[in-house]
Amino acid sequence: MKGSVVWTLILSDLHRHRTFILFSILSGGLALVLIQVGGELPSLLGTIWFFTGMIVLGCMLPGSNVINERKKQTLPFLMSLPMSISQFTAAKIVSTFGIFFVPWLTLVITAVAFIAGHKGIPHGIIPVVIVLSTFVFVGFGLNAGAALVTESEGVMVASMIVTNSSYGFGWYMLARNPAIGAGMKSPVIVWSKEILTVLGAEFAVIVLILGLTFYFQSRKRDFV
Amino acid sequence: MTELAIKFAGVGKQYRYFTLHNIHLEVPPGQIMGLIGPNGAGKSTTIRILMGLIHQDHGEVRVLDHRMPAEQVAAKWDIGFASEDMRLYDAMTLDWHMRFIRSIYPQWDPAYAQLLLKRFGLLAEQKIRGLSHGQRVKATLLLVLARRPRLLVLDEPTTGLDPVARHEILRELSAVMNDEGRSILFSSHNTQDVEQISDQITFIDRGRIIDSMDKEAYLDRWRRLRLEAPSGIELPALPGVINIRQTGRLAVATSNEFVPGIARAYEQSGARIQMIENMTLEEIFVAKVEHSREEVEA
Repeated sequence: MKGSVVWTLILSDLHRHRTFILFSILSGGLALVLIQVGGELPSLLGTIWFFTGMIVLGCMLPGSNVINERKKQTLPFLMSLPMSISQFTAAKIVSTFGIFFVPWLTLVITAVAFIAGHKGIPHGIIPVVIVLSTFVFVGFGLNAGAALVTESEGVMVASMIVTNSSYGFGWYMLARNPAIGAGMKSPVIVWSKEILTVLGAEFAVIVLILGLTFYFQSRKRDFV
Repeated sequence: MTELAIKFAGVGKQYRYFTLHNIHLEVPPGQIMGLIGPNGAGKSTTIRILMGLIHQDHGEVRVLDHRMPAEQVAAKWDIGFASEDMRLYDAMTLDWHMRFIRSIYPQWDPAYAQLLLKRFGLLAEQKIRGLSHGQRVKATLLLVLARRPRLLVLDEPTTGLDPVARHEILRELSAVMNDEGRSILFSSHNTQDVEQISDQITFIDRGRIIDSMDKEAYLDRWRRLRLEAPSGIELPALPGVINIRQTGRLAVATSNEFVPGIARAYEQSGARIQMIENMTLEEIFVAKVEHSREEVEA
């Protein structure tokens, strides 16, 4: 019974955001089409569009799926359902991360397949695309965790400012790394130690965010 | 022994600017309890503690024999909760909400849901954002009632409704009570609504329960006596009289435990009884709140 309420809430969140998911995938797909056109400017614009779409999704989703529950006063409706605060937290984490994960993974797979099938782009860039995309996932995770724990629009906006500012810096640092920089130009995929370290750190941060979100939520005594 | 639908024993909650003091409250099964209090009295805080949405600092809360908030999941299967500040998803239709609730509650009654749709004049395919305030309240109540809960907890459900919508909702709540096993806790600052459907009344003010008893007992015990007191006559302080207001020769005494002996005692003191009036629940409530505040401040 308990599991079914959590599952129902997850499915309802996914259903309410289905247009959001489709639009994100479509937007990322169009960005790849622009890159496919070829030429320096379309490729640059397509790449910016691709990652910007992902970043926008990571910023809007916590507001739409978490903050709005309080702001639009649907939280009392949900909390009247037979589930505990930790079950609600679990449902919201799974649905929020799920709504992001579906278009994110679709776009990452599509981008990797696109590069792999494109003779003009060195395949060595694939690990970097995965690292950069995962970096956006980390930023989304921070925004979502801040939104879930604080339920404050102000804190979430502050989190978005921090994460959005960090993308440029993070990507710059990656590009400056000699091993990663060299790997990017390779015609074959190179999983260097540096790439794997960064990727491992990113996944560790995601796990940490999830753990901290559960921890802080479980300590809450007042929920509405 | 029959379990109580709701039991609060010594429940308290402290905020920076508000304290809920030592709440004792019991609602037997099959009863409608009206919780009346002015704005900011602590009605919503009490109800949120009851629902496990906020945790009490001390005291015990049992709902349908479940300890709250520890056993809130088990309790909520049988509780239907609606509050004035509760909203549905405005981008979704009422039908979507009905399917959502139906997928959770196995006791959802589709025939009753259809009947309520008709009675409330709602369209299932309409989006929530297109509904008026009254229709939104009715939609929320439909979702609550059609799951056939043993206990209904309604926090100011009639606030902001027009008289027709209020009447429709109160009529439906009265109909719900045809099933004697059900109970309702109904909070409002509108005493007319509470008077219309409640069996028992609890007054709450400034975080304290100031009185709680059977509605008929309230209406039977409280009287207003209009007196004419010639100059030089001092009206005696009598037990059962909580307030006397005198303007010139005329005085109004309010009794919360009226017996004919009170009128006789005033007559013996030299006053003349002009009239003994029954009081409405609103008048009783206002008198009780004023008396309680005077007692606390004294």
